[in-house]
Amino acid sequence: MTRSLTLSAAAAFVLLALGALVLPDWAMFLFAMALAKGLVCLGIVGMMRGGLVSFGQGLYYCLGAYTATLVANTFGVSDIFLLTVLSTGVCLAVGLAFGPLLASYRGIFFAMLSLALSMVLYGSLSKMSFIGGTDGLNIAAPTFLGWAPEGRALQTALYLYVAVMVVIAGTLMRIYFDSEQGLIALAARDNELRVEYLGASVRNVNTYSYVFGAVLGGIGGTIAVLALGHVDPEFAFWTTSGEFVFVAILAGYLSVPSVFVAAIILEMVRSFSNLYFPNTWQLALGIFLLIVIVVLPDGLGSLVRRRKGDAT
Amino acid sequence: MTLKLENVEVTIQAAPILRGVSFEMQAAERMGLVGRNGAGKTTVMRTITGLATLAGGKVFWDGTDISAMSPRDRAMLGFGYMPEDRRLVPDLTVEENMLLPAWVNPDIDGARGLAFVYDLMPELTKMSARKSLLLSGGQQKMVALGRALIAGRRLLLLDEPFEGVAPALAKRISEVITSLRSEGLAVLIAQSELSHSMELLQRECVIERGEIVKVSTVGQDTAAQPVG
Repeated sequence: MTRSLTLSAAAAFVLLALGALVLPDWAMFLFAMALAKGLVCLGIVGMMRGGLVSFGQGLYYCLGAYTATLVANTFGVSDIFLLTVLSTGVCLAVGLAFGPLLASYRGIFFAMLSLALSMVLYGSLSKMSFIGGTDGLNIAAPTFLGWAPEGRALQTALYLYVAVMVVIAGTLMRIYFDSEQGLIALAARDNELRVEYLGASVRNVNTYSYVFGAVLGGIGGTIAVLALGHVDPEFAFWTTSGEFVFVAILAGYLSVPSVFVAAIILEMVRSFSNLYFPNTWQLALGIFLLIVIVVLPDGLGSLVRRRKGDAT
Repeated sequence: MTLKLENVEVTIQAAPILRGVSFEMQAAERMGLVGRNGAGKTTVMRTITGLATLAGGKVFWDGTDISAMSPRDRAMLGFGYMPEDRRLVPDLTVEENMLLPAWVNPDIDGARGLAFVYDLMPELTKMSARKSLLLSGGQQKMVALGRALIAGRRLLLLDEPFEGVAPALAKRISEVITSLRSEGLAVLIAQSELSHSMELLQRECVIERGEIVKVSTVGQDTAAQPVG
């Protein structure tokens, strides 16, 4: 890990941690949710770097959330670290099962297949009345290595937990993006055939990206359900996945921090437009996306690239 | 080592592009594939790398039929390909572009390959950290040649290496290819005409409308030799 990356990670954590001191309760919850969803979107951005867009990342978001909830409710596990590890493990296993299959597809076929998988989960969960059906399930507040905070302390602890996860995941993904495999993904995005005749397996590269996306989706889903205290099949619905794609487009594939900035912007735009235009907030969101696509076709990350000249 | 194409047929959207193409190359041989635009030179290159699907015939390497082998597996055999349009990754630096084959093939010593290329083309050293999208067409050609040299430990396929290149740079590329004689690499160069490569080639193979019409020693205007 380079010194500049270490410093950037430390600076990002300090900045996020400051939020715990200055943000009011409502904003801290909003930021925690936005960052949790940002983790899911980071997985999509990883795939976008290889030229793929998953419209079904809700699958892992939902799977992570349900795994954490079921483990907590069935076995009485409340530790956030253990819940994160278990749900991420389940998402990793499912990602490894589906990854090689989906990695054979490109473009709209990959997008639709990933969407289909998440909708299968949505449909299945909706019919499973023994785990709440469409009503979903509640989960108790988490504990932190035996510590059971309440009220503002709980919210702060959750916010700091997601901040730590964001910094760790963001740093690891940056390292991956700059690694040989990460750069091969970038080459595959530009021209897949070239990568093949140089000896690389585009399928393997896409499988790695998909599996990383699954893991990040699981972490994001676990944190989201612990912040909300409730999960339902909507976590896997196509509109949820669409929201993640929205953030990924807004962020672009050039920068890691821009993913979380985009996730926060989306949550803010949605919250405020919902508040001031309760009946037409989707319209406001659509107009916002249109403006971003026209002004920044490569996303927010391209602002950083323009500033740096030619950095990737 | 021998590369052998035997009655190769390639069809693209029902149009026959290659018709019964047959020729052989030996280790360390430098051969020119000469023909007008649209004659099928690039398709021959793509057939050897596995990018074009065979409609008939076979491709052999060291006596083994590799017709069904993927481009990826052929790259592992030591095939280096420099396409006519260079195909560099715009977001990667010059050095990263050249190291791409070494990242995916454990048999390639990237550092050694890079040192070899920098030794042959010292001008690339100065631009090693520059993104390839910032290079001129001629410079990109040199980077593509460097990448092909790192990937191609046994066979080098160069598609129009002198096309659109300034005379000084064309001379430089020609010198680089000439200096490979001692490396034991087989080199196949596709070109519209031989003006840049008369002295660096041993044989020429003339292709017209997807058919090999003549195989001869460079400088000797012999009648067509039997091919295949």
